[in-house]
Amino acid sequence: MTTDLVHAIRANLAILQNQPLSGGIVAKNLHISDNESGELSLYGDFTITLKVLDLTTNGAPNLNGLMTFTQQVITTKLRGGGYKGGISYFKYNTSKKAFDFHKNQTYSVRYNFNFNINVQQINMLSQLKGNDFVLAVVDSIGHQFTDPYGRRQGSGGLTKGQSWPAIVSYNSWIKDKNIGVHEFFHTLGLDDIEDNSKKNRLMYHLGNNTGYSISDLERGDLMEYILGDINNILKKNYSNTSINTDSRLKIFLNNPTNGFKYNKAKFR
Amino acid sequence: MVSNIIKLSLGSLLVFVMFACTNETKSIKQISTEIIDTCKYYRSDARQVVSSLSCYTCHAKAEVRINNMPTFSEISSMDSLKIINFAFIKKHNGWFSNTGVYKSARMDTLNDCEIKSVIRYIKDYNRDTPPMSSQ
Repeated sequence: MTTDLVHAIRANLAILQNQPLSGGIVAKNLHISDNESGELSLYGDFTITLKVLDLTTNGAPNLNGLMTFTQQVITTKLRGGGYKGGISYFKYNTSKKAFDFHKNQTYSVRYNFNFNINVQQINMLSQLKGNDFVLAVVDSIGHQFTDPYGRRQGSGGLTKGQSWPAIVSYNSWIKDKNIGVHEFFHTLGLDDIEDNSKKNRLMYHLGNNTGYSISDLERGDLMEYILGDINNILKKNYSNTSINTDSRLKIFLNNPTNGFKYNKAKFR
Repeated sequence: MVSNIIKLSLGSLLVFVMFACTNETKSIKQISTEIIDTCKYYRSDARQVVSSLSCYTCHAKAEVRINNMPTFSEISSMDSLKIINFAFIKKHNGWFSNTGVYKSARMDTLNDCEIKSVIRYIKDYNRDTPPMSSQ
């Protein structure tokens, strides 16, 4: 709560001083329009930054190529924004430019967001702030699990899910270039798909994918996460609040049950 | 002679009652096993229900409440029965009932398995669940 307040003050100061906002999500030119027939259109220009921390022992010679690919795929998946129907919320008052918390309303929401995606490499932990997104690259991941079909599975990528750092093993990323996006979309709130009939989906996680699509509902969920709180649209600019990225990365990497192998000397 | 007939009758009755009880138990077991087996928990499907009910719009996943409504984390800390009662039986003070202001959300069409899965999804939010792993 206190961290959020400090962050909000910092963000507002940055806006006042005309300094660039920082963080995983930076949104500008936010505004909303109501067609008075149950549809809200939300507009904004978003910059999403994913920081890649190379923790491999022998280096990652193809890292630049993998980062470029990841940046392109994220851009493609988010292009055009998204749409969600049946959102139960409160009535938007156009003249007051605020939601009226005394009147309930169901809306369809059109997310007309423009995205600029940056996937950039960092070399040390101090380059990571609390509200950044991070994808750490390690030598290998020892964590195993049994899938719903009773098969024992290894791990090419691992995360605790929404707002948590994502980790990939370099060799697995080389084998499946989409794994970086898959893990990052966990950070943005999507869940794994285990249903064998959905192997064509990016979030299917049991290997041998036949495709890498995301559904309209998933796209809507991504937009919802990126905006954070629908009331943020009423601000002109915003950046995401702290998700404790730096401390969460330390906790996650140092948890022995996850079985990460990486160059600890680089983790400084 | 009469006592033999009485003994025989009582014995038959006893055997009949035993068989009757045994059969009844078996069928109950079979039915309950079938019910448990048909409901599988898929996290992504549960999430899909939560998403289509737009739970996060009011119950923020961030730490700060929206208009003083409990955050998703606060709901996750509540007792399961309390969540079921308020969310699915009372349907949020009737807002989500088939005559309520949010009737288009069609909460009343959710089946028992979907409701159970949603409750597990909500409760898992504050649990130390295994990490998400990908091939």
